[in-house]
Amino acid sequence: MASRLVIRDVDAGYGAVRVLHGVSLEVREGETVALLGTNGNGKSTLINCIMGIVRPDAGEITLERDGQRMELIGRAPEEIVHLGITLVPEGRRLFPKLTVEENLLLGAFRDGARRDIPRNLAFCFEAFPVLQSRRKQLAGNMSGGEQQMLAIGRALMAAPTILLVDEPSVGLAPVLVNRVIAKIKELKDRYRLTVLMAEQNFNQATKIADRGYIIVHGQIAFSGATAELREHELVKKYYLGV
Amino acid sequence: MFSLDLFLNALAAGVLLGGFYAAVSLGIAVSFGLLDIANLAHPVFVMFGAYLVYTMNSRFGMDPILAGVLFTPLFFVLGALLYQLYYASFERKGAESLRGLVFFFGILFIVEVGLLLQFGVDYRLVEARYIGESLHLGPVGLPFRLLIPCVAGVSLTALLYLFLSRTFYGRAIQGVAQDAFALRLMGANPFKVKRLAFALASATASVAGALLIMIGPVEPAMNREYIGRAFAVTVLGGMGSIGGTLVAALMLGVAESLTATFYGPAWGVAVSFGVLLLALAVRPSGLFGR
Repeated sequence: MASRLVIRDVDAGYGAVRVLHGVSLEVREGETVALLGTNGNGKSTLINCIMGIVRPDAGEITLERDGQRMELIGRAPEEIVHLGITLVPEGRRLFPKLTVEENLLLGAFRDGARRDIPRNLAFCFEAFPVLQSRRKQLAGNMSGGEQQMLAIGRALMAAPTILLVDEPSVGLAPVLVNRVIAKIKELKDRYRLTVLMAEQNFNQATKIADRGYIIVHGQIAFSGATAELREHELVKKYYLGV
Repeated sequence: MFSLDLFLNALAAGVLLGGFYAAVSLGIAVSFGLLDIANLAHPVFVMFGAYLVYTMNSRFGMDPILAGVLFTPLFFVLGALLYQLYYASFERKGAESLRGLVFFFGILFIVEVGLLLQFGVDYRLVEARYIGESLHLGPVGLPFRLLIPCVAGVSLTALLYLFLSRTFYGRAIQGVAQDAFALRLMGANPFKVKRLAFALASATASVAGALLIMIGPVEPAMNREYIGRAFAVTVLGGMGSIGGTLVAALMLGVAESLTATFYGPAWGVAVSFGVLLLALAVRPSGLFGR
């Protein structure tokens, strides 16, 4: 099933505050794409536009699947989830008083995911063994890194065609960031998952991304393959302190 | 004064009463415990259910339990409409906590006065062949008018427990008050999930009403004493834990029955709050709180 997410000339903001200006971006089947930028440049706003949480003022966001084009703007978040796009939100947003297993099963709420629960659950437990050993524990009682694993696992239970990950490294100790990033890479390598990841940690994100976009003040300042990104002036200026 | 027979009978009556208390408390356990909606009007819905059952029983001689079950769809729809009104008027505007309480107080009075106007202040009761009979186990007598409500209450609790823990919508109901936004990211609409939960909670009122009028005669203002009991059971059980609600209801039933037998019935309601205060001092999250 070939699917592609295409964002074209999107403007968006909150009331009088304009955040995104003509942003275009594309995520193709099987790719891991990094959306890079420091705080306040519009990464999360763009992710929220894709999920239907923020409604863009202009532009188009389409999901192409098997030759079909579906416009995403104007759809509610739950509809977009039903189309197979799921989000690992910033701050994880787990159900703290439900168990690990209950959180995972809630991830499979969308119709398309319910019949594949045994397979997807096995897949989650294989990718994140810690979730299996903690399956009866309350999500709120786990460490930050484990919670991030659970948040990713929960999104995978929806059997997404495209997985969005918003700032997976925020609030995690550096050693845990390494582990979470390594896991996302593993998912991509082994299962050819299509991923769009918003991240401010340049070094971590470029470890696993095929391509990247750098967003500055709500505009795509540069895009290219990971190797090109590392050499780019902007990156040297903003991230590497060279 | 103290006799073992008396004690055993009081204990048995308490357990039976507890099963019935669970049925009354389920609606509060779901609305208050899981949805954070302090539905003070639930006990008056139970009264409304009791009067509908009374009407079917006195007019057509219908079995009270059957009548209670027959009316569940009506209460389901009423619950859904009430939640829709509550949502549009308060929850959507983020003004739910205090005004919502007043809203449900208002509903309580309207329904109570409606029942008073229609049925008067006289006590009403239902008739069925088995109501006067008892099951005897040695010295302990189990009157059918308590035994059947207990069995029905426990069954209703089990059904709700299975629904909440085994179905997708059930799990969504458990998660909705914890993080409604996250629930949207799972593909569920929080408004619809809450409306379903509230409708189900209200639907239990018609069965609970049938049990209430089977246990003893009712009059409209009786809902007041069940407000305290049901909220005490919900908090004691651990806010939304259905298993906890059953255990708490049984404890309360036994405590009330023993007190009523050995110290006098006037202490009955005081016991609910006594048990609640004591339990909260020891374990603030309730018996089975997460």
